[in-house]
Amino acid sequence: MNYRPYLLLAELTYSCPLHCPYCSNSVVYPSGQELSTAEWGRVFAEAAQLGVLHAGFSGGEPLRRADLAELVAAARAAGLYTNLITSALGLSRRRAAELRQAGLDSIQISFQADEELLGDRIAGTAAHAKKLDAARLVRELGFPLTVNVVLHRGNIGRLEQIIALAEDLEAERLELANAQYYGWAFANRAVLLPTRRQIARAVGAVGVHKERLAGQMEILFVTPDYYSDRPKPCMNGWATRFLTVNPVGDVLPCPTASAIKGLRFDNVRTRSLAWIWGQSEAFNRFRGTEWMPAPCSECPQREIDFGGCRCQAALLTGDARATDPACALSPHREKLTSFVESIQTDEGVEPSFEAEVGRLSFRQNPAATIPKKNLPNPGIR
Amino acid sequence: MTSLHQDIRPVLARGVRLRNDPITGEPVLLFPEGVLPLDETTCAIVSRCNGDCTVEAIIVALAEEYEVEPDTVRQDVSECLGQLRQRMLVALVK
Repeated sequence: MNYRPYLLLAELTYSCPLHCPYCSNSVVYPSGQELSTAEWGRVFAEAAQLGVLHAGFSGGEPLRRADLAELVAAARAAGLYTNLITSALGLSRRRAAELRQAGLDSIQISFQADEELLGDRIAGTAAHAKKLDAARLVRELGFPLTVNVVLHRGNIGRLEQIIALAEDLEAERLELANAQYYGWAFANRAVLLPTRRQIARAVGAVGVHKERLAGQMEILFVTPDYYSDRPKPCMNGWATRFLTVNPVGDVLPCPTASAIKGLRFDNVRTRSLAWIWGQSEAFNRFRGTEWMPAPCSECPQREIDFGGCRCQAALLTGDARATDPACALSPHREKLTSFVESIQTDEGVEPSFEAEVGRLSFRQNPAATIPKKNLPNPGIR
Repeated sequence: MTSLHQDIRPVLARGVRLRNDPITGEPVLLFPEGVLPLDETTCAIVSRCNGDCTVEAIIVALAEEYEVEPDTVRQDVSECLGQLRQRMLVALVK
């Protein structure tokens, strides 16, 4: 099979003004210097040559890079579509205009909730009001706007209000992204995972509004795979169409692949992107179906879901080759279901979030010194 | 979508770009959250979403291109535009 990347996620920096307890960044940051403006320029040119058509600028907070507009211009010059994925903190009028000038195609702004109190509590800083201002500015300047809200136990009950906010901001898209339990979210999953009843209510609400808003705002909602019997076709298969370059230049088949212990990533400072995509160990480790053990190797679904997510298999079973426990056929299924059942509440009892906020580990920036006792324990309960 | 008024002029939605894939030469739509490779018919429709052509004009043009009656392509064009509209890739302007 011929593999070819279409999408590049450019993680420009780990620095972020927010401290969301579900951040997908690795809990332990890789060491090294951030890539320079020129190095990113080379990455975009090489990516375009490989077939990449679309670049997402993420982090951390990409606006923390003073050269962001230059990087956008470089990606555009290479022919890439450019999408900024931002908290919107730091998106001043001057910078937004600069980005417009550089050719930025679209902006995605994260919201933590529909209202300030809850939003700021989850972000770990005063952010909500600034996001509202920035979203209106994005509209005023004519960028397409996507509103992204990571859903968890503390905000999934407010879907109606969240949808109303996105409507009020005239967003073209609303991504209701259930937290994916990697990185910081994995460490905090006992507090973050919604109950089965909460998910069912959310699915109902989304269905109604999706229809009502057709042609005005697209609502994207994905059920968390902790509640499914079949695993998600993660990344459409390992290293088939997507690559991530992290702030220090390591190239990953998916943004959370560093969750897999022992997987070594090559770096754009020492290898070409084409070599890394085609030849590197990390990109070839789980390509195709040859690597699969049973039951995946004999499963008629193996070309459809690819055995699910390698990172999740590694996190839950300790073996990245294992069938993702989000699959009912996984021999390790119980590791997932026992956890899921442990967080359910009795009929009529609302799950508490307020009382448990104190148990959350909030994301820290790499520069901050984190006392060892505060490091989240990624162990399996 | 059940019905599309025939005096509506479809246009690519904000932030959506149509280009040729430099690797395959095939047309693709680029939009905020991704890439959509287009088949021949969808491309024939999308390339006419320029704010000038009405839905009816697109139907007539496609019928000519494929040498069939307009009624043969009418439903396909409506469905295709309906789906693109739902994904916010095409806007329908009066």
